Amino acid sequence: MRFIALLLLCACLQVHAKGYSQITLSETNAPLQKVFKKIQKQSGYGFLFSVQLLQQAGPVTVKVSNVSLQKALEECLKGKELDYEIQTQTVIIKKRTATAVNLRQAASPPPLPGDIQGHITDSTGNPVAGATVSVKGSNVTTQTNSSGEFLLKGISSNATLIISSIGFETKEVNVGGLTTVSVRLNTSAAALKDVVVTALGITREKRGLTYSTQEIKGAAILRTKEPNVLNALQGQVSGAQITSSSGAPGSSTRIIIRGPTSVLGDNEALIVVDGLPINNAETGALTSGAGSSRIIDIDPATIETVNILKGAAATALYGSSGARGVVIITTRSGGINRKPVISFSSSVSRDKGIFPKFQDKYAQGIDGEFQDGDIVKSSASWGPLMDTLKINGRPAPKYDPIKMFFQTGLATNNTVSLNGGNNNSGYYMSYSYFSQKGIVPSTYFKRNSLFVKYNSRITEKLTSTFQLTYTNSDQRREPEGATFGQPGPIFVVYNQPISWNPFPIYNTDGTQRVFRNGRNNPYWDLQNVYNKYNVNRFISVVTLNYQPAKWLTVSDRLGGDIFTEQDNYKESPSDALNTPGTLIDNNINFRQFNNDLIISANRQFSDFNINLILGNNIYSSYTQRHNIQGVGLAVNDFDNVSSAATITASNKHFLQRKVGFYAQANIDYKKFLVLSATGRYDGSSVLARDNAFYPYGSIGANFIFSELLSSNLSKAISFGKLRVSYASVGNDNVGVYSLQTPYLAATINNIQFPYQGQAGFLLTQTLGNPHLKNERLNEFEIGGEVKVFNNRIAIEGAWFSRTSVDGIIPGVSISSATGFSGTTVNSARISNKGFELLVTAAAVRSKDFNWNITANFTKIRNKVLSLYGNLTSLGRIVVGQPYNIFFGSRFRRTDKGEVLVDPDGFPVLDDVPGIIGDANPDWLAGLSNSFQYKRFTLSFFIDIKKGGDVYNSTELNDYFFGTAKSTENRAPIIYKGIGIDDNKPNKVQVSAQDLYRYYSDIDEPAIQDASFIKLRNVTLGYDLNKQLFRRSPFKSGAVTLTGKNLWIHAPHFTSGDPEGSTYGSSNENQGVLGYAYPSTRSFIISLKLDF
Amino acid sequence: MKKIFILYSILLLLSGCKKYIDVNQDPNNPADVRESLILAPVEVAISQLQNGGRGVYVTAMYLQNAALAQDAPNTDTYRATNAEMNSTWNDLYTTILKNLRLLQSKAEANKKQNYVAVAKILTAFALGTATDMWGDIPYSQAFNGFEKLNPVYDKQEEVYKTMQQLLDEAIVHIGKNDVIVPGKDDFYYGGDMEAWKKLAYTLKARYFMHLTKAPGYDAATQADLALAALDNGMQSNDDDLKMGYTGAAGQEGPWFLNFQPGEALVLASTFVDNLISRGDPRLPAMVRPAESSGQYRGRIIGSTIEAPENYSYPSDFYAGNGASNYLVTFTEALFLKAEALLLKNGYAAAQPLYTAAIESHMEKLHISSTDVADYLAARGTLTNGNALRLIMEEKAVGNFLNFETYNDWRRTGYPTLTIVQNAVTDAIPRRLLYPESEKINNPQPQQSAKLTDKVWWDN
Repeated sequence: MRFIALLLLCACLQVHAKGYSQITLSETNAPLQKVFKKIQKQSGYGFLFSVQLLQQAGPVTVKVSNVSLQKALEECLKGKELDYEIQTQTVIIKKRTATAVNLRQAASPPPLPGDIQGHITDSTGNPVAGATVSVKGSNVTTQTNSSGEFLLKGISSNATLIISSIGFETKEVNVGGLTTVSVRLNTSAAALKDVVVTALGITREKRGLTYSTQEIKGAAILRTKEPNVLNALQGQVSGAQITSSSGAPGSSTRIIIRGPTSVLGDNEALIVVDGLPINNAETGALTSGAGSSRIIDIDPATIETVNILKGAAATALYGSSGARGVVIITTRSGGINRKPVISFSSSVSRDKGIFPKFQDKYAQGIDGEFQDGDIVKSSASWGPLMDTLKINGRPAPKYDPIKMFFQTGLATNNTVSLNGGNNNSGYYMSYSYFSQKGIVPSTYFKRNSLFVKYNSRITEKLTSTFQLTYTNSDQRREPEGATFGQPGPIFVVYNQPISWNPFPIYNTDGTQRVFRNGRNNPYWDLQNVYNKYNVNRFISVVTLNYQPAKWLTVSDRLGGDIFTEQDNYKESPSDALNTPGTLIDNNINFRQFNNDLIISANRQFSDFNINLILGNNIYSSYTQRHNIQGVGLAVNDFDNVSSAATITASNKHFLQRKVGFYAQANIDYKKFLVLSATGRYDGSSVLARDNAFYPYGSIGANFIFSELLSSNLSKAISFGKLRVSYASVGNDNVGVYSLQTPYLAATINNIQFPYQGQAGFLLTQTLGNPHLKNERLNEFEIGGEVKVFNNRIAIEGAWFSRTSVDGIIPGVSISSATGFSGTTVNSARISNKGFELLVTAAAVRSKDFNWNITANFTKIRNKVLSLYGNLTSLGRIVVGQPYNIFFGSRFRRTDKGEVLVDPDGFPVLDDVPGIIGDANPDWLAGLSNSFQYKRFTLSFFIDIKKGGDVYNSTELNDYFFGTAKSTENRAPIIYKGIGIDDNKPNKVQVSAQDLYRYYSDIDEPAIQDASFIKLRNVTLGYDLNKQLFRRSPFKSGAVTLTGKNLWIHAPHFTSGDPEGSTYGSSNENQGVLGYAYPSTRSFIISLKLDF
Repeated sequence: MKKIFILYSILLLLSGCKKYIDVNQDPNNPADVRESLILAPVEVAISQLQNGGRGVYVTAMYLQNAALAQDAPNTDTYRATNAEMNSTWNDLYTTILKNLRLLQSKAEANKKQNYVAVAKILTAFALGTATDMWGDIPYSQAFNGFEKLNPVYDKQEEVYKTMQQLLDEAIVHIGKNDVIVPGKDDFYYGGDMEAWKKLAYTLKARYFMHLTKAPGYDAATQADLALAALDNGMQSNDDDLKMGYTGAAGQEGPWFLNFQPGEALVLASTFVDNLISRGDPRLPAMVRPAESSGQYRGRIIGSTIEAPENYSYPSDFYAGNGASNYLVTFTEALFLKAEALLLKNGYAAAQPLYTAAIESHMEKLHISSTDVADYLAARGTLTNGNALRLIMEEKAVGNFLNFETYNDWRRTGYPTLTIVQNAVTDAIPRRLLYPESEKINNPQPQQSAKLTDKVWWDN
């Protein structure tokens, strides 16, 4: 025990590998410790030893020149009671004992003269198994074993060995009289071992993949300083559209990969953490506005990489839940034989709101006449100019509703982590506390996150990983959106006349002071209306890997995602709204378990490398929702439902289970042709019994053409591949219990049963469909990847065409005369076609200055092909149109598209509503640049969205109220259009007030093009000089300054940040913006220290 | 042997998987419930949705009883969309009629005669409301789920025959004197089957009278049928079909909710001014003065908007949080009898019933007997020239906020209404539009009907 402690204590600092190095030593009577330090410097290998042991061994005299590490070590330890062992990058010095005899020698008898024993490693020091070793000019050939070792007998002492292996540069080594050789192979340029995590946590070389994935490093995620990892990915992933819903702390974010495929069901990508699918539902939205996406419970600081699996071929193994794309999050881990490192990072952010523009010239009133909100309750700001307004003979004071109401937000984030490992295990622990105070007073989001991961090598063949995340997330927010007749402060503030002082909040009789009827005073809302949640979540994964043979691995991964959520909504009785007060306690009890048993075999048959995977998945998800609602609150400032006059409660349980069997085969021929096939057979509890099980699969091919290029060409094109794949993936995208038609506890308008002591049930309005089967997503994908100029520029592109068929539409409407207003059917078809491009370039690579550029581009066209029967539309889903169009009242137009104007000068409203906008962007692009000069780094990220409309209800309603900036010009308007009676251009002028107020009742003027260019973040970093830390416990450090949303160019949008969806991340809310919690522009300073 | 073992293992595994995922039985909602649990919410639904829902809300404006304190064009100036009818149609079919159908078949299976009767009476009542709103409606092919996704519409005449038949059958069922009666699940009558029978007869009379001008129907015959039914109809205010409310927070009646500030619904000038001009003592009992002025002031529909507090609202009797919702009343039965007698025997025969009807309504509103007498005197006696107008005018007051007034106005032209200013149609609407949801999901030829088109019996 003491020995191990000493080992740990004396373990040397580990330095990065410098590649294959020859060692030269010339020491006389030098302490071993000093000699090892020299070897370490030259080889890059770390040393692990007991100081005591070295002292006992005494000094050493050694003289070698350009020898291998092994040779040098042997020379040093000659005649000493010491032995060494090399384990991934580390040399362990130990006592020579009878049992712990040198493992190398125990493996095989000492070489006979003329025998060559060798050890082949890759550039990171890991053994290369299956490498071919042949003697130049002869037929003698052998292969390395699983430890990368080989033995060749009877070889001439000046023979040259040729060592080759897939993915490595072939190397020639002259034996030169040696009996042991140690060779380090360099990864071949064509096959830079870019390993990515694919479906089910299987790591594969990216070069061999037959589908599209994109990896984002943890560092890039941390750089954005976003508390939600999905926000951190915004704009960076080609093929994905990631949209935040509002600026409220902790608010939800939607991620759609390669376009929406479900009409009314879930369209968001599956989130997988270390092989475990986790819940990313939007919860906590008991009131108007967005909730939180539950991925917010994942601390970005614990993330090593995020890999996005885009197409159906990539996700076929995930099947049902992965059909919509998968975000694979891999967390950080410790490493074997890694010295403990403690890291501490801290950041502080100041957030300023990005607000709509308002007119600031005209007072409350109508027709230019002043109305004093204290006397005449009026919502209009169509009064006189403030400059001319006098109250009691004095110039009227002007109030800025925005400045008065909003505050500067403040967020702090502190993380401390510890990682390291000993010779058989590694650990990573981290704790972080994120706390954000919103720009709306009283709103906040706080997160405590604890993460522990422990991996250990139980035996040579059995390894395990155990990890646990505990998160507590806590949020408070206010209702958002156009909350007519409901509480919600932002709605009122944006309409508040500049001539009105919102203070005091109360009249002398104790009632609320308001400038108009039917709205609360916004400051009263802050104190009396809130929506809170508190989530306690545990995510745990246990992985066991058993490798009975070098080509066979059996692994089992069991994970659990468990959380409880306490939601509260409080609304005090309001005299302004004449409401009795409401309290809601909503508790969610969620647990999800997932087990994957995977058998993986990998064998080389002459030119073929065959990889087979067989697996089984068992999944179970349970949710309990316990809801208590109290109406009519009797006691002031007592937030307990016991004070309510009427209490209603409900308790619901939802259980879903799935089983899946899957197989995958990858056949690699001479490392330039890869054929890949997957198959899966799933059973899901939510489908009809007879249709519960369904098969699907994918097939893909990959052609690495750069392997066949002539040497001249391959100098220019270092890597090139073409790939094609087709997949058909089944999906059970429907909620539980959709097959049945039960009775529901009755709720009739406001009246909930039990009523007056009498229970009541009515048959549901939604007809269960007992024949429900899986839907299917068929996708064809073609893509390629080219690296040129010695890998300096890499271009990756894909084109895909995907169609969802038999699409499940939950709640599709049917004639009420059937007795039901809706049912669930299997009939929707939606197509998505798109193109993705990713370019990375190392523009400058030098010792002191580096410049890297990453650019991505996405263009997706989608179309709803069919719904159900005669049904041509379902809300915003219209057959023949892109997904999620805007449908509403509009102006009547001539054939040429000119608006018709009536004789009074007003545009004519069309009798029938129609399509007025499309929320889908034309294309998306992101451009990221990072510069490194000595210790400085500078990076900035530009995000571009072209097209895509929003329904801007802030602007529309503010036309009516006269607070919109566009209403500041109040000269009479001649509406541009054609007279409906005379067919001539309109010449009749109307007052601005009348026209804008007329507008406010029509949907069309609310539609705005939300194209934007955003400077999403800029980061300036400085790596603190090591010299600074010489006398401190710190090893390294960095200071970073970050700016978020520093610049937004949205030429057609009038209300601040054009991005978002006020009412949350669900389908129907996309692009609907109005009185949202403003997003913020932030300045962040962070410090990171390692000890 | 080995093969058999493997095969057996696979079978076992698959059947195990099947069992593992066989967990889709809804634990939250029952698959079946007994009659009383259905009756209670259906009764609430009839009050909240059928007699307080969008269809009735809209016709209260067409009748110029109510108005919107919002800019024209709006509902009160006859701006209407098919989509706004979705909820009323949906409520009638999926909440009320479908569940009544279930209640009836369950009660029939369990031989609970009185529940069968109640289900049939309420079905007739709901069908009556539906057909009077839209004319031809689905019924004979309705409520069949996937079996019949596009039920064709029955002719209104057929629907009326069905309604009378249902009421007749209900009376027979009640006549069986089954000992099982509804209890506190019957919010209307608490299981008083005599009261239900009176309701059935009163409804029969109502629906007979609706057809006085229907093609192929004779007014005198309809009056005879109505009179015969009314002999067994409601006999006092205690027989009223009404839904009471506790008025506790979250348990208010529909008209309280309809007149909430957020809805911007206020009283219309036509209704308020009529009461004022007639010196009707019920004015303070039915109307609340405007908050800002203390005056009784209805909104002139289509005029420039003012703040809601400048207008009158209904009194607490009609729109207080605990106000009862009156669905079918003894007062209406008396007016029906008055009208039938007028048709059969002339104004003199109608006079006592006309008086009794007004008195029964005023009694409910606690109008003093001197005020009642003064008012009756001021209104004058029925004459050949004024009888129908007075009966229908007074019936409209007695049936304030009840959908029946819209039927009466269409049948008789009383109370006299003139088209509102800034109207978007050239006549007062004579029906409701078919809902948009129905046009999309079940296209039928009848759905092209315009707001000013008449239903079959309206002539």
